[in-house]
Amino acid sequence: MQDRRPAYFAWFILPSVFLAVALVASLASLFQYSFREYIPGSIKVGDFTLANFGRMGSWVYLRVFIDSLLLSACTAAANLILGYPLAYSLVRSKSSLLKSTILITTIVPMFTGDIVRTYSWLVVLGKNGFINGTLKAAGIIDTPLELLYTPLGVTVALVQYSLPVMVIILAAAISHIDVAYEKAAASLGAGPLRVFWNVTLPLTMPGILSGTVTIFAWTLSAFATPQLVGGGKVNMISNMVYQLGFSNFDFPFAAVLSMAALALIFAILGLMSLGMRRLERVGLH
Amino acid sequence: MFGSVKGLSKARTFGASLTFALVAGTFGTGASAQEPLRISIWGGSWKDFAAENIGKRFTAETGVPVEYITGGTIDRLNKAKLSKANPETDLIFTTSHVGWLYASDDLYEKLDMAKLPNAKTLFPEAIISPFHVGTWSYVYTIAYRPDLVPADIKFTSWSDLWNPRLKGAIGLPDFDPSHIIYASALLSGGKTAKDWTMGQKKLLELKPNIKAFYNSDATSQEKIGSGETPVQVLLSGNAYHMMSQGIKINLVVPKEGAIIGIDTVGINKGTKKADLAYKFINIALDPATQTLVANKQKMGPVSPQAKVDPEIAKLPGLFTTAKQWKDQAIVIDHKQRSELLGDWRKWFTENLIAR
Repeated sequence: MQDRRPAYFAWFILPSVFLAVALVASLASLFQYSFREYIPGSIKVGDFTLANFGRMGSWVYLRVFIDSLLLSACTAAANLILGYPLAYSLVRSKSSLLKSTILITTIVPMFTGDIVRTYSWLVVLGKNGFINGTLKAAGIIDTPLELLYTPLGVTVALVQYSLPVMVIILAAAISHIDVAYEKAAASLGAGPLRVFWNVTLPLTMPGILSGTVTIFAWTLSAFATPQLVGGGKVNMISNMVYQLGFSNFDFPFAAVLSMAALALIFAILGLMSLGMRRLERVGLH
Repeated sequence: MFGSVKGLSKARTFGASLTFALVAGTFGTGASAQEPLRISIWGGSWKDFAAENIGKRFTAETGVPVEYITGGTIDRLNKAKLSKANPETDLIFTTSHVGWLYASDDLYEKLDMAKLPNAKTLFPEAIISPFHVGTWSYVYTIAYRPDLVPADIKFTSWSDLWNPRLKGAIGLPDFDPSHIIYASALLSGGKTAKDWTMGQKKLLELKPNIKAFYNSDATSQEKIGSGETPVQVLLSGNAYHMMSQGIKINLVVPKEGAIIGIDTVGINKGTKKADLAYKFINIALDPATQTLVANKQKMGPVSPQAKVDPEIAKLPGLFTTAKQWKDQAIVIDHKQRSELLGDWRKWFTENLIAR
């Protein structure tokens, strides 16, 4: 069938071309920095070298990658556990009040700034913050719990930061399920739990997979939350890149870490794509 | 104002007046508009102080407006590097050792001191290099919350930070570890910045006492204000700001001295407004401006001729006499500091910050 769209439609692609060129140019710049020599005490870089990649083997930096992977995995898992019931209620509830409440409590935080949200966690998790204050007032603890500048504190703040996205992805997946499948299972004698476990949950698996991977990859590049809530004691890859590039002026090694993080994220997205294809082949939906 | 003109309706009068106003406004702007002097500086109180106390006087004396381009220390350094061929600013305020990075990357003009008559009487420590000159000083030293630290813990020496009872209480800057690295080296028998490795073992022993690292003035203030890190190696100006907000903070100059920081100004290489830039710097170094530096900002003046309020002059870390500079200030060689900072940062990141 002949394409009847006007010729000028082709020009609409221009903004994305500009974006792609800018992205490729900046990545190319980053790439060439990773092969340049670091000159201490200068923001200039030296000649070609491969030594920067050798430093990646140092336990200090491997540990930052491992910590980042663990924090991202915990954040994604907590998002799934908290987000699924919220998304399910958002889609299936008949109460508009409940739907509105869920929508407001989960989505509205997205519209407050990154820094505002993170600073509010400093108030909540601090030694004299909301949690410690409440527990002390209730006589549950005498000395404040160490919540700030710990992996637990960073994970809690990251979950709150990313939960709206998880809920949106899961809600979209749940709303696409044809309720006839669930009704059919129920009519054959399956109880609500069995229907959920054997029908609903498998049918939302693509949403679960894409939501989990999206949150995982997104969290892996988190900066402001670990920077403020981690207080320099909990560092993720972006924080280390910032430390090396903007405090040490070691742009070559900062570029190596950035490239490694980028490669890791591409690998994860590749795995997600493979998983999705496998799910499609199995024919879940 | 828009009263009717004979022979014209009110609407037409309004239209004519509006057109006249727009035309007059456009030409008026064109007649008085001058290329501003562009200054690279930190935001917040730093920019406000420069604008209020140097910029206004500069504009009154020259008729030239001033535009401030604000940003963090390293962001501005990177920007200057990227726009080297066509500099975005004419003057740059930065810290003394970072100024050496500008100089080593050929981003500064060499200063003609003959064009800076006010520089002749400065403390010698303020003449940093042939390229940049100090505008005010401060110290990084021990600060603590007396309401949150046991009364029997005293701070008279840098070594008091190693007190085991301060476990999980200390906050340090992560963007520049030179203060604690230098102090640690001094306590371990080092004499100059080059002896810094002598203090590595001692610094590692401080790890249990470190609660968090702060990455900006704002996070430093938040951490000591909330009591999360009741002891900090803190910028004196920030301590005085917090005190003015009603927070109890004691600032101590240890017996070994406090680590001096000097903020400086230099002229962008390639500026077309060098003469105006000299004029601006000369106003910044004027004893009258330096008096405001001390009395309003509670920063150390670089001019011994500044008339400092006696109460302000008593503040720890605010040095107003040559004797104070000699007895209480630890001045790390600025060039050496700029050259070693990379190694210091790397070691600090890998051994203190990373787990």
